[in-house]
Amino acid sequence: MSPTTELARIIEGEDMWEKQLDLARNEYLKVSGSVDRNLYYVQEGSLRLFMIREFEEHTIRFAYTGNFFAALDSFITGQPSELYIQAIKRSQIKVLSRARFMELVQRSPEHSALWTRVLELTIVQQLEREQDILTSSPTERYERVMQRSPQLFQEIPHKYIASYLRMTPETLSRIKKS
Amino acid sequence: MRTEELIEDLIDRTRSNMNRAEALRQLPASALNARTAADRWSALECVEHLNRYGHFYLPEIAQRMEAARYPASPEFRSGWLGDYFARTLAPKEKLNTMKTLPAMNPSGSVLDSSVLDVFIRQQQQMLKLLDGARRTDLSRVRTAVSIMPGLRIRLGDTFRVVIYHNERHLGQAERELA
Repeated sequence: MSPTTELARIIEGEDMWEKQLDLARNEYLKVSGSVDRNLYYVQEGSLRLFMIREFEEHTIRFAYTGNFFAALDSFITGQPSELYIQAIKRSQIKVLSRARFMELVQRSPEHSALWTRVLELTIVQQLEREQDILTSSPTERYERVMQRSPQLFQEIPHKYIASYLRMTPETLSRIKKS
Repeated sequence: MRTEELIEDLIDRTRSNMNRAEALRQLPASALNARTAADRWSALECVEHLNRYGHFYLPEIAQRMEAARYPASPEFRSGWLGDYFARTLAPKEKLNTMKTLPAMNPSGSVLDSSVLDVFIRQQQQMLKLLDGARRTDLSRVRTAVSIMPGLRIRLGDTFRVVIYHNERHLGQAERELA
C-alpha cells in the first residue's frame, strides 16, 4: 500500500474528516491571498493548483482521485498563499484542518513516520518538477512528464497540461502528433 | 475592526463572486441575454455594469496604494461616508433600487460571455490588490469615488463598496435568468 493510501485509510478509520465538499466544474476552492491550513483529499474528480504571473495563469500541480493536496506554503506557515485551487471538473473532496490532523499525526510514532514518508515523497516530486522547469526543450519536458505521470494525459484538459508544461497549447499539439 | 479580518472576509467574498461568475459561464448565451422585462438588464448586462466600475476602481486603488507611504496598520476604522456607501450598495433582503449613471448603464450593448472572462480577470486583480493592502494603512490611504468627483473615501471602505456592489449585481444577474 502506498503511504498516501495508508494515510487516507487511517484518517477514514479514525473518522477524522471534518467535512465533505461538492465542487462544481471550475469552482474555486481557494483564491490568491487567502490563508488556508486545511489538508484535502480528492474523493472523486480533479483539481489544479495555479499562480498568476504577468496576468497569465501558471499551473503548478494537479490533484486526482485518491490524492491529498493542500496550499502547502500556507498549510505549513499559516501565512497567506498566492495559490489558486480550482476544480477542473465536478469534484468531491474531504477536508481536515491542520490542527486536527497534527493531533492524529502525533498520536503514535507510526502515524508520525507515515506523515514524514508522505512529506519526503512530496519533496522528491518537487525536485522532479524543478528538473522539468530547468529542461529547456519542450519535447523533453513533455517526455519527462509523460513517463512520470501518464495519468495526466487521460484526465486533464489539453490547455492545462500545456500550462503545466510551460508551452502553448499549439506547441503541445505539435509535439503530441510527432 | 482588525485589518486582517476585513481583508480575509473580502478575499472570501471575492472567491464567492468568482464562483458565481463561473457558474454563469456554464449557461447558454440565450439564458445570459434573457431579461424578465424590457426595461431590465440581462445577466450579462449586470456583469458588464460591474466591469465598468472595476475599470474605474481597480486602477484608482492600485495608483493610490502605490503612491502611499504609510506603514501597515493592524486596525481599520470606516469613515462615515464610505461606510454609508458600502451599506447602501450591499445586497439586502428587500433591495433598495437606485439609479445608475449613463456611463455605467450597459443597457442595449451587444454582449457575449467574454464579459464574464473580463469580470474574472478583474477579480484576480482585486485579489492582488487586497493582498497588497496588507502592507499599507487602509484608513489613511484614500481613493476617489466614481459617482462623486472630488470626494475621497478610505481604502478599506472602497474595497467594501466595490465588492459588496459586485455581490449585489451578481444576485440581480442570477434572478434575471429565471
